[in-house]
Parts: sequence; C-alpha cells; structure tokens
Amino acid sequence: MIRVAAVGDVHMDQDVVGRFRPALERLPEQADVLLLAGDLTRHGTESEARCVAAEFGGLGVPVVAVLGNHDHHCDQVPQVVKVLTDAGIAVLEGDSTVVDTPGGTLGIAGAKGFGGGFAGRCASEFGEPEMKAFVRTTSVTAEQLGAALRDLDCDTRVALTHYAPVPDTLAGEPPEIYPFLGSYLLGQAIDSAPTALAVHGHAHAGTERGTTPGGVRVRNVAHPVIKQAYSVFHLG
Amino acid sequence: MIDEYTEAAIQRLLTEHGGLAEQGIKVIRRERVLVLCGEVESRQRRDEILRLVHENFPDVPLSVDIGVTRASAPTEAEELP
Ligand SMILES: [Fe+2]
Ligand SMILES: [Fe+2]
Repeated sequence: MIRVAAVGDVHMDQDVVGRFRPALERLPEQADVLLLAGDLTRHGTESEARCVAAEFGGLGVPVVAVLGNHDHHCDQVPQVVKVLTDAGIAVLEGDSTVVDTPGGTLGIAGAKGFGGGFAGRCASEFGEPEMKAFVRTTSVTAEQLGAALRDLDCDTRVALTHYAPVPDTLAGEPPEIYPFLGSYLLGQAIDSAPTALAVHGHAHAGTERGTTPGGVRVRNVAHPVIKQAYSVFHLG
Repeated sequence: MIDEYTEAAIQRLLTEHGGLAEQGIKVIRRERVLVLCGEVESRQRRDEILRLVHENFPDVPLSVDIGVTRASAPTEAEELP
C-alpha cells in the first residue's frame, strides 16, 4: 500500500503561515508523500512562495507540486519555482518524478493544465487567434501530461493537476464557468496510461469525488473542498 | 437596489483587487441584501473582503457569510484498492 497525502489551493501569504504546520507535523505518520495541487500562493510572488516553502518545506516526506493560475498572476513563475525547489519541493509541469515508498515506487506526472470545458460543451481550436491560443494551451499541456504518465516506470501512477480533468468534481460550481475550471483533454491524457488516481484543485466550490471516462478515480483536493489540512489516500 | 452590473463588478473586485485575489466567493443577490458566501484562508482575508466591498459599494447592503477553512489533520484515510 502507498499512502498519498494531497491538498491544493492553500493560497499562502504571511497571514496563513503556521496554520497548516500543526497538522503537517503529523503527516509523516500518515503518508509517504505530499502532493500540492496548485494555487500555492495568492498572487504568485516570490515572497508568497517563501511562505509556501516555510509551511510545506522540510516535512520529512517528499513534497511534489504543480502550480495553479494564482501562482502565475504576477509573472514570477521562475522565481516561485526556484524558491520552492530550493526548499526541496519538486515542481512538475509536463514532466514526472518517481518516489520510493515502503509500498513500492510511486510515479507522479504533473501539469497545471488549463480550461476549455468538457465533452459536448467545450471550446474548439477555431476562429480568432486568442481562441485558438486558449484551446492550444490546453491541448499542449494535456499532451505533455499524457506522455509523462505513459513514460513512467513505476509500480503505481498518480496524475497531479490544478485544473479539473472531469466535470464530476466540479459539482457545486456554476455550470457556466466549467470551461474555466478544466478540460476533458486532461481526462483523456490520464486515461492514456494505467493511472491509479488523479488529484486536482482549482474548483473551491466543487465536490471531492469523480471518475474519468476510463474509470480512473479523480479527487478534488482544493482546501475549501476537503476542509482539512490534507486528505490521505491509500493506494493498492 | 442591487442590479446585475453591481453584482458583476463586486465579483470582479473580489478576484482582481490586489488585496483580495479571491475567486472562490459566491456573490448572491437576494431581495434586500447581497450575500457574500464561501471560504477563505484567514480571518484577515474575510475582514478585508468586507472592508473593500463596503468601501467600493457603500450603498449595497451586505450579508457576509464567509468562513475560514479548517486546517486540522485528517482523522481518516480513504482506501482506494
Ligand atoms: Fe484556488
Ligand atoms: Fe485556481
């Protein structure tokens, strides 16, 4: 059995430092790895990233993250990634990492993902350059996620995104904004490999549980959805 | 009187104001009040939402129902065989 802890949308800044720490001190008893599903900061500044590093660094288990849309807001992605990486937090974007656990090797493929919507109600790569660029952004990131998942050499595979790969875990959000919350292309990428679990964040008013069309279990671990410091999943 | 344009402007203020950056707050127009509802990461953030919305829309009667998300360790794991 591999024990995976996960949380997203912690939106760290000075005012949040220390809130997660008491729970995190207990995390190594409960999990072999911690996944952070994006929106780690409020505006994506270097100083907010330092708050993330202080809160989620040095836990005693590997920490693997993807960024979210908030982490892009101030156009300081390289600085944010550097602060997190220096704190020992692996940041994935279209690539993967393998973690050794007592229950076997856990491969994590991650990407922020992007919007576009879900089958039958989605945007198409057509028309204005802005619209084509929007949909193209999602298809490129989804292709990278799929390739990263398929290329993994490990016992158990997990997909980590910020945007949602299925509409199931968005229930509770207004249906009108689903195209800004995720894309079926991410689900298709996840289904292209034997993935054990897909975790995402972003949809603060969504629902915990869902499944891809291929039967992969999906969990929305946005902090306001799980209402605890992190959730723990026992795989296998 | 709270119209749709005010509702839209408040929704965007919550996200786009540098001091807020909140996308997860629901803005609901009721008959007599505008309800702000959702969860944030700290009490300061809730107070700042109230302060800035009130400052920018002084004539809009507000009802604020925003909680601070709990951050305790989980008591149970989910088994996914
Ligand atoms: Fe978020
Ligand atoms: Fe987000």
